[in-house]
Amino acid sequence: MEQNRKINWKDLGKRTAGTIAIPLLFFVVLFSICLGNGRMLISSSAGLISFLVSVTTITITTMALSINLNSGRFDFSLGSMSVLAMILSSKIVYPLLGGGAGSAILMLLFSVIIGTVLGLISGGIYCLLRIPPIITSLAITLIFEGISFTLTGGSYVMDEVRGSSMSFFFGQWWAILLLLAIAMAFVIFMFDHTSFGYRYQSLRTGQKLAVNQGIKEIPNALACYGICGGLMGIVGFLQAGITTSVNGGSLNFASIAIMFTAFLPMFIGGYIGRFSNDKLGYFLAGLSMGMLNAFFSTFHNEIDVSVQSIINAVLLVLFLIYLANEQKIIGWFKKLFSKKNHAPAEQN
Amino acid sequence: MKKLKNATLLLSALGCMTLASCGGGKGGTTAAPKIGVLVADVSGEEAQAFRTYMTEYVAKQYGATIEYTTALENAADEKSAIEDFAGRGFDAIISMSSSDRAAQLATCVQNKIYYTVGSGMLDDKVYETYKGNEYFLGQIGPSMQTEYEAGLAMGQYYKAKGVDHVGMYGAFIPNPMHVFRAAGVIVGLGDTYGEASEMGAIVGQIYADNGIQQAKIGGDVTVDYMAGFDPTTTYSTLGSIIGSGIDAFLSVGMATTFFSQNLNDAKIPYGDIDAFTSSNGTNMSSGSLNYLAGKYASSLGPVYALIANAKNGHSIRDAQGNAPSISQSYAVATSSEEFTALAAKESGDTRIFSKEVLDSMIGDSVTYDAFVEAVQKERI
Amino acid sequence: METAKKTQEERGAGFRRYKTKNLVIELLPIIVLALLFAIYMTVITIRGYKMELQLTRLFNQAIVLVTVATGATFIYALGSFDISLGASVLFACTMGVLTYNATSSVALLLLVIVACGVGCSLLSASLATFFKIPPFVTTVAMMSVLSAIATTLININNTSGGTASITLPLNLLDPISSVWIKALIAGAFILLCVFVFNFTKVGRRIKFLGGNPTCAKLSGIPASVYTIIAFGIAGLGVGIGALLTLAYTPSVSSGTAGSIGMNIFVAIVFGGMPISGGAKSKIYASLIGGFSYMLLNQILLWLIGTSMNGVAQIISAALFLLIVFLTSLNYRTRLLPR
Repeated sequence: MEQNRKINWKDLGKRTAGTIAIPLLFFVVLFSICLGNGRMLISSSAGLISFLVSVTTITITTMALSINLNSGRFDFSLGSMSVLAMILSSKIVYPLLGGGAGSAILMLLFSVIIGTVLGLISGGIYCLLRIPPIITSLAITLIFEGISFTLTGGSYVMDEVRGSSMSFFFGQWWAILLLLAIAMAFVIFMFDHTSFGYRYQSLRTGQKLAVNQGIKEIPNALACYGICGGLMGIVGFLQAGITTSVNGGSLNFASIAIMFTAFLPMFIGGYIGRFSNDKLGYFLAGLSMGMLNAFFSTFHNEIDVSVQSIINAVLLVLFLIYLANEQKIIGWFKKLFSKKNHAPAEQN
Repeated sequence: MKKLKNATLLLSALGCMTLASCGGGKGGTTAAPKIGVLVADVSGEEAQAFRTYMTEYVAKQYGATIEYTTALENAADEKSAIEDFAGRGFDAIISMSSSDRAAQLATCVQNKIYYTVGSGMLDDKVYETYKGNEYFLGQIGPSMQTEYEAGLAMGQYYKAKGVDHVGMYGAFIPNPMHVFRAAGVIVGLGDTYGEASEMGAIVGQIYADNGIQQAKIGGDVTVDYMAGFDPTTTYSTLGSIIGSGIDAFLSVGMATTFFSQNLNDAKIPYGDIDAFTSSNGTNMSSGSLNYLAGKYASSLGPVYALIANAKNGHSIRDAQGNAPSISQSYAVATSSEEFTALAAKESGDTRIFSKEVLDSMIGDSVTYDAFVEAVQKERI
Repeated sequence: METAKKTQEERGAGFRRYKTKNLVIELLPIIVLALLFAIYMTVITIRGYKMELQLTRLFNQAIVLVTVATGATFIYALGSFDISLGASVLFACTMGVLTYNATSSVALLLLVIVACGVGCSLLSASLATFFKIPPFVTTVAMMSVLSAIATTLININNTSGGTASITLPLNLLDPISSVWIKALIAGAFILLCVFVFNFTKVGRRIKFLGGNPTCAKLSGIPASVYTIIAFGIAGLGVGIGALLTLAYTPSVSSGTAGSIGMNIFVAIVFGGMPISGGAKSKIYASLIGGFSYMLLNQILLWLIGTSMNGVAQIISAALFLLIVFLTSLNYRTRLLPR
């Protein structure tokens, strides 16, 4: 019994270390560079809000991407969904409240509902046509972009997403955190604690077997798309709030870029998930990327957007190389350290 | 098989739609020109205002056909769009897109279609090459010197207000118009860049540095600089700059689109070189925008006059037979009253370059000098 | 006896119907292309557009896409895809222009363009193969890196008074800018691809690997070798595509070849090739799909107008879905496809 408890403590320590290692590494490295240059990672309340929005956006986009991608369903339409959800939401809410009290919350609510409907449409077309989701998502992206363009005449939506209510919402750090917490709690509940989630896991790991067991994959897939859409509705709201506009003029796949920002956190999150929970992993990966963005912002005069892209891409490749060759790399390090440790003894 | 039938029906319907819509044909034999407009930006407020003026005012007043392209991303798109217009019998191109203007001109000459520049200016070398060509009708817009002076005036305005510490947004440097404006702002604030205080030297350094390096800005007024636009980092940077206690925020473009809410909320006085649009009116009346240098939508009118004259067989040329290159200055408003006064001249069917004014610029009797005078006449 | 004969006849008729249906589905992409081309020509004729100019323009619009997409078909046949091809074209063009401007050598320009195209692709393949990273993810990273490097190089060497760009002398590539020469260059590459894909061991093995990687591996086919070959051929397509891009317009900005990356997907699928690769992969899919997609977009823009291009994009996407749905009728599964 005593021995068991000891093993559990060791295991817990290992799991904790594995869970926090990456965000801690990001923090130590980035904070040290800032300190060395006499700067702060976050130096103002607006910087804090921007950081929190960045963390929330990345975490939620990563969860939305991973829900379908983990099931082998590639979805290019996430960005177009978030833009269209927010455009429709703002066009409904602004005439009602004119940007005054309560309009931010109502816009968020509508954005989530409309996002969910758009997700269901996307999933519905996939299930109806039964062609690979990567292809349907290409067409859905073009359709949603086309609708956004038509609704806005290709212009920026500005007045509708500005006003006292949005300013107030995006001035409260706790409101952003609360939004993140609710979104995470919902996803964790749905995918880890409901029969829907169990069926999702079952279909994800063995589609044919699960279907043969009687699990209905179409309702499950539709629900996944609906949840993705709802999550992207939140992302659309956050993007509109922080940039104080929505660009309705994106055509020809211009909206897919947001998806690429979620790849690195998705792999980092998946890695962290091995030690704890994948959703917690996505959050910690989002936190790490948020710190990296705050760092880029602090050094904006030294590191331009092109260099930022290169750094992000190199980090992605290095991390994947590590993931794919983890055992080998750990083996090399073990050898290296054991050689170093043995070297003095051999000399003696 | 049934699904196949449905598809065939749908494709047939598309075919019928084609035939039905072909009824429009080539249109009448009116002398009004058919104009294609090359655009890279379809979303900005300024671009939309220009478009409204051309398609809903000029086109209706003169019965002209004015068609805009989709957002052109590169030189190949521009060339292809010109070929399309030429292939559909259009008379002229107005270029508001600048991926490769030399190639645009060459394509127009090759396809015998008139070419004008409606936004920005050609490189001197390109202008010199084509200024005598019959298909190049001219360029009307702010020259680089005018861009520099617009930045200079804005810098001087805030310097006179007694600012010690400002934020500055360089927008999309190395876009030349933004480079020249930024150089003007630095000099206007009484600062130097790399110890230079003269336009040519500063501009040369900015190009060489591939942007502005904050450390090279020296002088009494401290400048916190930012450029580009990336939703993930720009707003954090803006927050830091606002939080550092700046007296004002000076932008060489697009601040009123991207940052007005943040600056209005923080009550930071700000200036921009942009356009006289309705949202900028709101920013001036109820926000903290207090300096706006901008174009007004109908400033594109004279370019139409150049084309109409050429279509009527009377191209406007100087004494040497060269196409005109006329610089237009910016209108400036520093208060809501000034803005409102200007906006009143540019709403609906009331235009600074109205049909009446344009009529005076179109005709066989219009000389080069009279045309230039009409373009540059103070109307605000 | 009679009943048996009747049943046999019915079976035969059913089989013939099945074969006809399959044949029609197989030929659908070609039928669609022919139909779209007929509509395109009708519009040109009735509206009095200049036919030669419009056809030349259509060719120039489609040829880069078709060339790059034909090379990319080898990657798609493996069941993988490469999203960095547009960025690779941009990078190859950038390096080509910079090389010429530094050396004034057309030979070096051609060499660098092709070498960059092949090099970028091989780098993606090597990362994927040697470090065992999913090929798609390496191409996402490559897309960011190549675009960022090219944009930085263009900004530093900017020679334009407008959007930052670098340029070759205007008439430098005139000798290869005519439709016939371009058709010859692109045609030679496409024929090479058809030969390798349909008539060599390389093509067969790539399709085998795409269709059933486990079985292919157990048969002794080294996936890594054929991944590198597939990416190498795609890289050659990128190099030739970059050359054709510069032959059309001699300047390069960060937006050059911007839409190619995603349009390759659309072209290949539009041409009737399954995205999962394997034995049903068709090397001519990108040729048919590329021209069909360009024709469809052009027809819609002419009929609906550029002011309504959002609507044009919706209709284009809906027709794309419909046609892909019909062409996929031959390989539908009981389970939802992934």
